Amino acid sequence: MGTYRSRAAAESSAEGGAKGIGVGWTVFSYLIAGMVAYGGIGWLVGRAVHASWPFPVGMLVGLGISLGYIIYRYGRQGAAE
Amino acid sequence: MTGDVQVLAAPAGGCHIFSGCGYPAPGIQDFDFQTMFRIGDFHVTKPILIAVLCAISVIVFFGVAFWRPKMVPRGVQNLAEIGILAVRDQILRPSLGRRGDSYLPFLVSLFFYIWLMNLMELIPFFQFPSMSRIGFVWPLVLMVYVLYWYLGIKNQGAWGYFKTMIPPGVPWFILPILIPVEFARFFIVQPFTLGVRLFANMFAGHLLLTIFYLATWYMLSLSIGLLYFVGSAFMVVFVFLLELLVDLLQAFIFTTLTATYIADSLERAH
Repeated sequence: MGTYRSRAAAESSAEGGAKGIGVGWTVFSYLIAGMVAYGGIGWLVGRAVHASWPFPVGMLVGLGISLGYIIYRYGRQGAAE
Repeated sequence: MTGDVQVLAAPAGGCHIFSGCGYPAPGIQDFDFQTMFRIGDFHVTKPILIAVLCAISVIVFFGVAFWRPKMVPRGVQNLAEIGILAVRDQILRPSLGRRGDSYLPFLVSLFFYIWLMNLMELIPFFQFPSMSRIGFVWPLVLMVYVLYWYLGIKNQGAWGYFKTMIPPGVPWFILPILIPVEFARFFIVQPFTLGVRLFANMFAGHLLLTIFYLATWYMLSLSIGLLYFVGSAFMVVFVFLLELLVDLLQAFIFTTLTATYIADSLERAH
């Protein structure tokens, strides 16, 4: 009985660990993805209007959007569930 | 083979600190290898040989273990079962639950192959993690990428699968802002980080080990340099132990994320 319990406890802690890794890397992916997406859009706009500033500005905007979304989705306690 | 630590030390030769020659600093050149032998037009280098050896080792190990499986496992079978159960209980079940058991062979192969490949950076004579050449990482990533795309489209339909990329519970006027981010995450960042994480860790690990191996050799002298020698030798032990951990951890993370991606494809969790 004791072994069964400790096994169940180990499984549930492994579950928490795997979820933690998953959520952690998802958050990280969002940060990069925001910069990639809006940096890309900025770069295209910059090419079209022959200016170099839309690329960095796009990256910053993307980072801002990612941060906002991460706070919205994961920032609150239990919001990820 | 310029990447061999032994061969690297050779040009240093009797070159030690205070003998007037500079430190033979390791660099990107240590990841380039000359052809060992050819099979037809195919040039076999050390990383390729290591990759093939690792694949054969994993296949042979599990093949031997379960050649004639017994109800009460002994010896190799026992060891292999411990390994498989560890992957099942620590990696597969937490993300996929019991329904994911059919992916166990894939995850077990992936985990042990990556782990063994990583460990090759520590085993004398081999002393090179093939995963520190990014070309060895992309095929694994491609395999995982194709698998979770296939599973996603098969289980949720093409349109349903794309719909899962639209974040739920977000006001409609925010959606156009978020969709580029979601697409970039799913198509570019997710596979990219999966591969680069493994590559970069092995690359940095090999570089660190080479730096301290060489420095230990370089600082070996009977003068004050002996103090540095001891310091560097300590770092070799420290980095060795660290890499022992990193090797396991990287194999674990790669496999865990693969399991998470498969779980996302089977059924969107949120």
